[in-house]
Amino acid sequence: MSSDPNQTPATPHDNQDVVAHVDSPPTLLIVYVAILALFAATVLISSSGMFGKYTLFVQLGIGTIQASLVGCYFMHLRHGDRVVILTALASIFWMGILFVLFMSDYMTRHRVIG
Amino acid sequence: MSASTHSPVLKHHFEDLNQQHASERLGMWMFLATEVLFFGGLFGAYACYRLWYAAEFEFASSFMNVKFASINTVFLVTSSLTMTLAIRCAKLGDKAGIYRNLLLTFALGSAFMVLKGFEYAEDFHEGILPGASSFGVTDLKHNIKTDAEHAGLDTGKVRLFLCFYYIMTGIHGVHIIIGLGCILWLVQQNYANALPPDNYSTVEVVSLYWHLVDAIWLFLMPMLYLAGAHIKHVGH
Repeated sequence: MSSDPNQTPATPHDNQDVVAHVDSPPTLLIVYVAILALFAATVLISSSGMFGKYTLFVQLGIGTIQASLVGCYFMHLRHGDRVVILTALASIFWMGILFVLFMSDYMTRHRVIG
Repeated sequence: MSASTHSPVLKHHFEDLNQQHASERLGMWMFLATEVLFFGGLFGAYACYRLWYAAEFEFASSFMNVKFASINTVFLVTSSLTMTLAIRCAKLGDKAGIYRNLLLTFALGSAFMVLKGFEYAEDFHEGILPGASSFGVTDLKHNIKTDAEHAGLDTGKVRLFLCFYYIMTGIHGVHIIIGLGCILWLVQQNYANALPPDNYSTVEVVSLYWHLVDAIWLFLMPMLYLAGAHIKHVGH
């Protein structure tokens, strides 16, 4: 510890500052079952072909919900520091930019090439 | 000061354990952001071609083994659960629980790779390969490239899908193997009593990586395996 006389003395137990939120197993189990249920739904929807040409978007939508569940509950974003939440959202936002720019280029090329 | 009253786990460049844990978490999240960069590029490229060459990509995807991929998905999601439980055990100081959950996670991750190995072997024997060569296998059950020709589809585009399939699942597999190595390191750390409740963030940091690899698979699986799930094939 620092020997600076101006600094306030360390509290006897630094680890009293640590407030570690402990997960409850029932919550984790519910999230686990939800993710698997969504997966079953994806497989069934894709096999039945009920959404036709929109199947890909339904799959991606379900995937997003699953990833959000993993992020919020398994990766503890629910109780996360703001900077961590910002980092996670920023990476998703960046991917959004990537997809928007990719798609706006590649999916409109037929309009340019004669 | 002669008597050190802070936790032995606290590193000297941090104010307190809270800051240490927060820094470790943020550091790993920064790395995960770069992983999103990495896989985002692959997903973006796949998405473009999937929309451009829908027929060929759906045709090729219909040859993929959805059963293997589904079992693998269950393995991976369960491993995410056990990994989160390992963090919980670390927070509670349950050393045996840490061992149990880490080794379960390792077992499930390994089962994923083993099944992937069987899946690749099956693909090889069925001639579901992107290259022109079938590596000397002459008694193929079906040849995806000639099947594509018979269906009136462009063989090159079918092979492009197969390139994406092998590269994306292969690189994901490499990430799983790296994660398995990290989990073994955690087991060793637990053995060395380096994972007291004050140091739960070490387990959490590896678990963040593991969850991201799981989340990537949750997107990878529908995109590669379920694109052609509505097409029924004989004998698959």
